[in-house]
Amino acid sequence: MVEQESPLKPVWQPGSHGNFAAGIGVYLSESAPGSIVQLAAWAGKEKAVLQAIKAVAGLKLPDGAGGGAPGEARAAFGFAPGKFLVIDEQEGLAERFTQALDIETGTVTDLSHGRTAIRIAGPKAEWVLSKFFAIDFSATAFPIGAGRSTVHHEIFVHIQRSAPTQFELYVFRSFARSFWQALCRASEEVGYEVQ
Amino acid sequence: MSPRRATAGGRIDRQRTIRFTFDGHQFTGHAGDTLASALLANGVTLFGRSFKYHRPRGVMTAGVNEPNALVTIVNGGVREPNIPATTVEIFDGLTAESQNRFPTLSYDIGALNQLGGRLLSAGFYYKTFMGPVIGPLKGTRLWMACEYFIRRAAGLGSAGLEKDPARYERMNAFCDVLVVGSGPAGLMAAQAAAESGARVILAELEAVPGGSANWSDEAIDGMPAAKWASSAVGKLKALENVRLLPRTTVWGYYDDNTLAAVERVTDHKSAPAKGEPRHRHWTIRAQTVVLATGALERPLVFPGNDRPGVMLADAARRYVNQFGVLPGEKIAIFTNNDSAYRAAHALKKAGAAIVAIIDLRREVSDAARQIAASVVGEHLTGHAVVATEGGKQVSGIKVQPFDIATASVSGDPRSLHADCLLVSGGWSPTIHLASQAGLKPVWIEQLQAFLPPQPTQKWLAAGAITGSFSTQEAISQGHAAGAKAADSKSAEPGDLPIADADSLDPCPAPIFEIKAPGKAFVDHQHDVTADDVRLAHREGFVSVEHLKRYTTLGMATDQGKTSNVPGLAIMAETLGKPIPEVGTTRFRPPFAPVSVGALAAERYGDIRPERLTPMHDWHVENGATLYAAGLWHRPMIYGLAGETVEQAYVRETKAVRGGVGLVDVSTLGKIAVQGPDAAAFLDRVYTNMFSTLAVGKARYGLMLREDGFVLDDGTTWRLGEHDFLMTTTTANAGKVMQHLEYLLDVVWPELRVHLTSVTDQWAGAAISGPKSREVLAACVTGTAVDNDALPFMGIVHGEIDGAPVMICRLSFSGELAYEVYCGAGHGTHVWATLMKGGENFGIVPYGLEALGTMRIEKGHVTGAEIDGRTTARDLHLDWMLSKKKPFIGSAMMDREGLLAEDRLQLVGIISLDNRPLNGGAHIVEHLDEANPHGSIGHLTAACYSPVLGRYIGLALVSGGKARHGSRAFVSDPLRRRFGPIEIVSHHFYDPEGSRMHG
Amino acid sequence: MLITCPYCGPRNVSEYTYQGDGNRTRPDPASTDQAAWNEYVYDRLNPAGDHHEIWQHSGGCRAHLRVTRNTLTHVVTEVSFARDAGHRKSERHRKPGAHA
Repeated sequence: MVEQESPLKPVWQPGSHGNFAAGIGVYLSESAPGSIVQLAAWAGKEKAVLQAIKAVAGLKLPDGAGGGAPGEARAAFGFAPGKFLVIDEQEGLAERFTQALDIETGTVTDLSHGRTAIRIAGPKAEWVLSKFFAIDFSATAFPIGAGRSTVHHEIFVHIQRSAPTQFELYVFRSFARSFWQALCRASEEVGYEVQ
Repeated sequence: MSPRRATAGGRIDRQRTIRFTFDGHQFTGHAGDTLASALLANGVTLFGRSFKYHRPRGVMTAGVNEPNALVTIVNGGVREPNIPATTVEIFDGLTAESQNRFPTLSYDIGALNQLGGRLLSAGFYYKTFMGPVIGPLKGTRLWMACEYFIRRAAGLGSAGLEKDPARYERMNAFCDVLVVGSGPAGLMAAQAAAESGARVILAELEAVPGGSANWSDEAIDGMPAAKWASSAVGKLKALENVRLLPRTTVWGYYDDNTLAAVERVTDHKSAPAKGEPRHRHWTIRAQTVVLATGALERPLVFPGNDRPGVMLADAARRYVNQFGVLPGEKIAIFTNNDSAYRAAHALKKAGAAIVAIIDLRREVSDAARQIAASVVGEHLTGHAVVATEGGKQVSGIKVQPFDIATASVSGDPRSLHADCLLVSGGWSPTIHLASQAGLKPVWIEQLQAFLPPQPTQKWLAAGAITGSFSTQEAISQGHAAGAKAADSKSAEPGDLPIADADSLDPCPAPIFEIKAPGKAFVDHQHDVTADDVRLAHREGFVSVEHLKRYTTLGMATDQGKTSNVPGLAIMAETLGKPIPEVGTTRFRPPFAPVSVGALAAERYGDIRPERLTPMHDWHVENGATLYAAGLWHRPMIYGLAGETVEQAYVRETKAVRGGVGLVDVSTLGKIAVQGPDAAAFLDRVYTNMFSTLAVGKARYGLMLREDGFVLDDGTTWRLGEHDFLMTTTTANAGKVMQHLEYLLDVVWPELRVHLTSVTDQWAGAAISGPKSREVLAACVTGTAVDNDALPFMGIVHGEIDGAPVMICRLSFSGELAYEVYCGAGHGTHVWATLMKGGENFGIVPYGLEALGTMRIEKGHVTGAEIDGRTTARDLHLDWMLSKKKPFIGSAMMDREGLLAEDRLQLVGIISLDNRPLNGGAHIVEHLDEANPHGSIGHLTAACYSPVLGRYIGLALVSGGKARHGSRAFVSDPLRRRFGPIEIVSHHFYDPEGSRMHG
Repeated sequence: MLITCPYCGPRNVSEYTYQGDGNRTRPDPASTDQAAWNEYVYDRLNPAGDHHEIWQHSGGCRAHLRVTRNTLTHVVTEVSFARDAGHRKSERHRKPGAHA
């Protein structure tokens, strides 16, 4: 199998940057999962899709808008009515879901190449993200595991909170480099480390 | 110690000396000083020249309401004009300049304008420079002759031309309670809300929270008010659920309790820390807002009231109590209310002599009388100031007996020596934000002031903004508002702090103006006098909104914070109506000036997002000249050294037509259309059939809008029974997606179809030319690519050097061609493999110019022809309109006007003078270069055609098809192009399509 | 202005795209009634007050929403998924040529 090339390669600068003298505010990284798969249920078939996620990915998603399950190896969350994003560090997840879901339940769309996964973690993660997105990142409004769809100008993004101070961002690959550069710039104020 | 700095007192850090420059002179001040307080401490009283008359002006206030002391802050090449010196915190290296003076502040030529004062009264511009042009120097012609000099003489500071290198940012914030203002009311509100667990933001426009506590002489809870405030601030800072935003002006109150604020993060620093923005713009969404914005003192209007040395009484109190600065040594006070007596008390304590208090009222409260008796030389009740004396500084005043009932002076004036005159005309609650989120402000006769209106959004008011001017009321109202805003059940005001304050009467006498000879200013910043207001009335401007626009009263950068109410009062008196009947102008955002940088934040210049294809870096490394197509960056040409653009695309085109070329088509919109009803859905949205398309085949499709005009075109591939991959043009990808989503959500919710943008999932490379099949055969494994395995519009799956690919045989160039799709992360790998595999066949990469040239030669349409005004018939695509089914647009595409013979139709154009053509040029029938007329259409695209050896183009021409073979002219006056052309079929090249089917 | 998306919660209007008057009903696809098509494609209500509108949460979950918005005050009183309301759309049908 050919390795996926990162869209961030030419602008990837590991190390500490910005105003980090008083400590690192955020850690930025590309998580490069093997699979990013969208599942979309027909009306009334959401439960069946949730069951498929449990069966295939071993993740139990809570009911309700934006409900999700975080995880290092695999994660999933809802981002739109009846729609879920499932992420796996291994490749081949789309094929497994295609086997598990019939067309009467919903559809499977492989986005493994189409979305770039960026992680932002650290004490200032909420602060930096609030520069971009007009959504409430506080833990009460945006609990661990939950997913959100939002936009920064043209840059559309799905966000999952994976830990108290950690978020996973899924952006369109063609915008990933621009967004990464903007993210780095916005993080300079609090000091950031690219890992 | 400088002449005006008191020997002790104030909340400045006397241990820290700060050096700054004003008008080229070095000065020193202390940490905690504003530019105004530091200059006053150095004995500077002249701060600038006025807008129209170039009158000398000093500092009138101590805060955001300053109309006079505007300066330009200079930072390298960047000049920020019109900043009130009263709001600038000094730092080492600060450089400021005065404004609107030439050549210097002290000797200003423009001051001659004062002599022509009558000429420059209200409406001067309208009267002098507008109207019919009669004679050489009348009306607008006169304006054109004088404009340069007038623009130079009038106005405020000027901005620099350098690019501002500072960083600006935006921030989104959410909270339960936003408290605006951090005086005692705001502090108590924040504290009460925070105690109940609410998320609180406390915004304060000054550097040091505390508001009036920072300069009152009062005690709260047994300690000096300022100390109480700083300890309250300290407690708030320690709470996790409170965010304190000093130096943050909440400037707008918008729908749904969304407020706009600007934080001046580094304006008080010599240099920002790394990555620190200069200004941060906050968009705050609050459940409830507590407005604790206080009140602003207003001046009285009397002749000479603008001379440097005339200052608001409470501003003087602030200078002495907060900054340890005496605004004068021999001070007179002129007031219509008790609050000014506090200044007398404070200044006397700091060592100034209070020459006299001139009070318009004959009767004053006992508390005021007591202060007067203990600190004042003369207490002149029932008197008015009718003039000030001096040049660039007050040296004396003239007073005269005054009668409130008749609002007139009597008797003889007498002079008093004073170097400073403090004025108080009462207080106006700071209702700007409340008014933006409320109904009409309420006039209260007793206070002679507007109070906050009925809210139309969720806010509460506390403190002086409510017209309750005592600190104790501020404390109790603040606490109650904070608790209520946070929905606290335990709003027990049991142990509130106790304020130890005087008991002066806050109600003023209803007098705003002293009528006496001389210029009496209402709006100091725009040089609007009381006579200007009356003149406007005489000329028929009776509405307050018209008055404002005609005189420009209240329209300067200070937005009339000191002038609105006095101006309104004078207007009301002139009209003979009570003030509430005249009404007030609407308060609109911003409350105070906001930097454009803060509003733009990241939305400018080179950090606009770029959309890059998976092979972008390869293109750059291989000499591509990039072209911005929307947000996408696409290769235009891969020029060789010394090549022109035309030479490059001609070379690339020839290489493709004669051999093989590779072009990046990853930017095409791609939409996954999936579901049991996908085929049925496509039949409804395309003009042609897709349900009949076999799996593993692609078809060219055309979409119309509901009104029958063409929306977009592209090929759609059937990857499975329920699985289609739709492609759209690059430019219309988003529009088509929304169009389809709308139909599924709103019109046909019963259809089970999902749409997903997969534009970014796939890298696309089109390999074109007679040798393209050979290159593919050499590179692709896992599938055959010969004509049987991969016929025209067929799709196969295989691998290229280990990367899975999907190949569809279709052609935009007119040659044998294939589109090779692979995962975007494999894009460069597949592209480079094809380039390597094509080396032996002479493969070239080609860009948009060559692509465009080949499509023009083939007569294929793109966005230039699908311009929202063309129908399928206009583009000769009527063969795609199915008669077997209705589709979007089918009901309206046959309307009379859309079938007319003379509609603009697609044609080909050949340049007959062998000169290039330009898109956008008109086609005219008459040979009349000097006066081109009678356009019959226009060019949509043009190129040099290597196969024809001619300059050609596509055009939309009236009744175009019938004109094939006829001659006309191209007219493009802007580019000085006129010449003969021939109208031909748009199929210039291989009309039978034998090359791509071969 | 905020619109409360039934899925995503309250979001800034900048995340949404106005997708037109929500009072329209598309004629039967096979209909040749030009007046009905003309009304569907071109006629728009323009009320000063409550208005039924279609908004897409294009910068969020991408669902189309039926929104009742006061055009004078921007106050949004009702939001629902257009999909759910789709089957009830005849309720909002109005006569050809009717104006608010």
